Amino acid sequence: MTTADSVLVRPRALAAGGLGTVRRHPLIVVLAVMVLVFQVSTGSFLDPANLRGIATDAATLAIVAVPLALLVISGYLDLSVGSTLALGGLVAGWLAGQGQSPVVAVLGGLAAGAAVGAVNGVLCCYFGLSAFIVTLGMLTAVRGLAQQLFPLPLSGFGSGFAWLGGSRIAGIAAPVVIAGVVLVAGALFLAFTPAGRHVFAIGVNREAAYLSGISIRRTPFALFVVTGVAAALAGAIKASVLDSTVAGTSGAGFELTVLTAVLLGGVALTGGSGSVLGVLLGVLFLGSLQNGLTLLDVPTFWQQMAQGSALVAGAALAHFAPRAGR
Amino acid sequence: MTEASLRIRGLTKSFGGVLALDGVDLTVPMGQVHALLGHNGAGKSTLIKCLGGAYPPDSGTIEVGGRSYERLSPRESITAGVAIIFQTLSVVDALTVSENIFLGQEWTRYGRIDRRAQEKVAAGLLERVAATCSPRDRVGELPMGQRQLVEIAKALSRSASVLVLDEPTAALSTAESDALAERVEDLRTQGLAIVYVTHLLAEVERLADAVTVLRDGRIAHQSVGAGQRRRDLVAAIAGRTADGETEAGGGPVGDRRATNLPDADRPAGDRPDGNRPVGDRPVEDGPVGAASPGATDTTPRVTTSPATPVARGVGSPGGGLVLEGLRGPGFGPVTLAVAGGERVGLYGLIGSGRTRILETLYGRRRASGGTVRVGDRTVAAARPGDALAAGIALVPADRRRQGLFPTLSAHDNALLPAVRPLSRYGVRALGAERRVFEALAGAVGLRPARPRLPAASFSGGNQQKLVLGRWINHTRDLRVLLLDEPTQGVDVGARQEIYRVVRSLAADRGTAVLFASSDPEEIVTLADRCLVVAGGRVVGELSGAELTEEALLSAVHEASETSASCETSAPTETSDLSKASAPSGAADVSETPPAHEPSAPAEGAV
Repeated sequence: MTTADSVLVRPRALAAGGLGTVRRHPLIVVLAVMVLVFQVSTGSFLDPANLRGIATDAATLAIVAVPLALLVISGYLDLSVGSTLALGGLVAGWLAGQGQSPVVAVLGGLAAGAAVGAVNGVLCCYFGLSAFIVTLGMLTAVRGLAQQLFPLPLSGFGSGFAWLGGSRIAGIAAPVVIAGVVLVAGALFLAFTPAGRHVFAIGVNREAAYLSGISIRRTPFALFVVTGVAAALAGAIKASVLDSTVAGTSGAGFELTVLTAVLLGGVALTGGSGSVLGVLLGVLFLGSLQNGLTLLDVPTFWQQMAQGSALVAGAALAHFAPRAGR
Repeated sequence: MTEASLRIRGLTKSFGGVLALDGVDLTVPMGQVHALLGHNGAGKSTLIKCLGGAYPPDSGTIEVGGRSYERLSPRESITAGVAIIFQTLSVVDALTVSENIFLGQEWTRYGRIDRRAQEKVAAGLLERVAATCSPRDRVGELPMGQRQLVEIAKALSRSASVLVLDEPTAALSTAESDALAERVEDLRTQGLAIVYVTHLLAEVERLADAVTVLRDGRIAHQSVGAGQRRRDLVAAIAGRTADGETEAGGGPVGDRRATNLPDADRPAGDRPDGNRPVGDRPVEDGPVGAASPGATDTTPRVTTSPATPVARGVGSPGGGLVLEGLRGPGFGPVTLAVAGGERVGLYGLIGSGRTRILETLYGRRRASGGTVRVGDRTVAAARPGDALAAGIALVPADRRRQGLFPTLSAHDNALLPAVRPLSRYGVRALGAERRVFEALAGAVGLRPARPRLPAASFSGGNQQKLVLGRWINHTRDLRVLLLDEPTQGVDVGARQEIYRVVRSLAADRGTAVLFASSDPEEIVTLADRCLVVAGGRVVGELSGAELTEEALLSAVHEASETSASCETSAPTETSDLSKASAPSGAADVSETPPAHEPSAPAEGAV
């Protein structure tokens, strides 16, 4: 604890790791053990090709999980991301299919996501409605809108659009690069911007934050918009990878998977605590679990049980573990 | 059961090394009303909480209902026959009167609640306390006085033998207070042992058979039998003020022991770090309003010796705060002025409107009329951000709900409003933040001065220093500092440091200080001048030699007797805050109180 008392070292400790980090994120140990078990039992888990697969799968999860985590830290929640993902992918794919340039197509998709996020944000932050109820309603409403607008499956978006999901930047798949950028941006935002501090303050005690002169509506509103945009981006990436998308099923259940990753990563649902490193771990954990169990030919419903149990076990661990680790 | 119903022996309780109760003995026989007096922080509430099972005492015994306990659990306390009626009542608004009375002890018949039988018994109990409400009334729709009677009836239904009333008249109108006094007299004849906590000496004179005055956790005065002289009681309550500014002379001081006060309690003026009593007690202001006439005949003239009476308006002359006819729900019109460098106290009981005045000034509540000026600028604060931009800052009363971020670090707590002003190009200036933190931690005497420690791990006093420190970090031009109950839940040592910080803000930076307090000692210690508030208005002004605890106690007593308009603001102020202009609620933040035990992990909870 010689240097740990300085706020300056927090980001450094985050980067450098260290015992304190492990103690704050027991998931690191769990993840390492799990990877070891999968490697021993499958023999191919740590193959570069497989790791690349995990990273690509986890990328869309991470892109949405980071802004969602920020939203949860500030005391809100967004359950509508699954449908927003579908809408974003459909709008982007449709624009690409109409012959628009890939850039315009993607921006169009993002705009749709921003619109959904803005509606959520206005209702939750400015009108003060319950985020749980608003975004639960939007989950259903946006899905309905997507099906109304795009009743038929879309496919054949063209080679330009396929770049988003399929190309490589310095040997790394584009979605993974994007996810990396989002993760780094999220961590920097929390540690180094005033708004990042405000996110925590609002999540811990809104009333006290308000009385401290902080704008308690603007920042969470912006996070709702960013979360919507991120979900739409994930949708565009998925549409690009598959070269097709269906309004009815795209991103179904995604909202709960993302939330699981966020909560596994140590973000408290009550707001006020969490970290981007934790979110990364949560995403990697879910990705590895799914991948490993698939390699082991475990049926899907067992995988789902494992995923759900992991969340509950994590919660129990955090609740009952001796609080010596600080 | 013929003798003492409640006997407390040598009760001692400390918090983090600070003795809140130090060997307190208290015996209350059946059919006695025992008044418990003392300042905020004297140990009254700790005593009550030990009795109710909320705190385990360090040592001593509590004998109640014929059994002796080293410590009580809340359930044991109830079964032993102790009933505590707190200021903030614990009735459930959504339930009916009889449902409240039988909450947790419902009468059932074939597995169903026997509503009829309950209501019949409830009616009997209500009659016993002379409540006018019906068992079927919804408690939320009843006036405060009736709710209190419902709670007393509930205590009776559990066959309580010891009834503790914690400032029961604080939120009541005059008529309701009178009615309650009659009930207390009835209950005394019915054989209950009653502990009656109050600030009002008139209530003691009317009701008490015995009196105990606590001061700094010890018994400063204890007497049985009527006819306690008011001056004796006041002297015992006041004791020797730790500050040394006020010598409560006059009457014989009950027990003015020279306690071994830590260094921090030495007279602030003697300290080398500069608390020159600038602007101390301007005496040119005559008494105004109802405050003084009664003050003079009932209380001894107490010699208050301000070091140097300096005319008002020291510091920056134009920098003061002026309110003209400020009105809002539950208060007003209020007209007052605080010069730059001046410290003005707002003295009043709970419900007097003092909190509303401060919160309206700060933009937390909306004013319905009047003007506020800081210097020569008119300020219409619609939100705290506006007030802060005009140089007005507030240290709120309810630290846990309105001030603190328990799980965040001391650094974050103290610097929160400064992070953005300090930042450059949207990036935090971490070096500058650290320097500001070190400076303000030194200025307020934060202990331990560890920036990364979560705020919840600090003592109440140091938490308050963090909240106060938020506004003195030199990144803002602090023109007006508002404080609401600045030392509530703060130990004696930290209290002196907070006073020191506030004094030096006024003296060195010319900040106009307006603070509300229900503690006369605090007013006398910290204020140059005091305005007495009742029923949402300023009803009197005391300054200079007149500003004594005796005068304040008399003034507020008279104000509450004469001002019938008290009723308008009767519901406790803090409880309806959330409903006022509260920032519109999100998710479920308001329902989940921030984890505030020190053990709650800042990170890692799923």
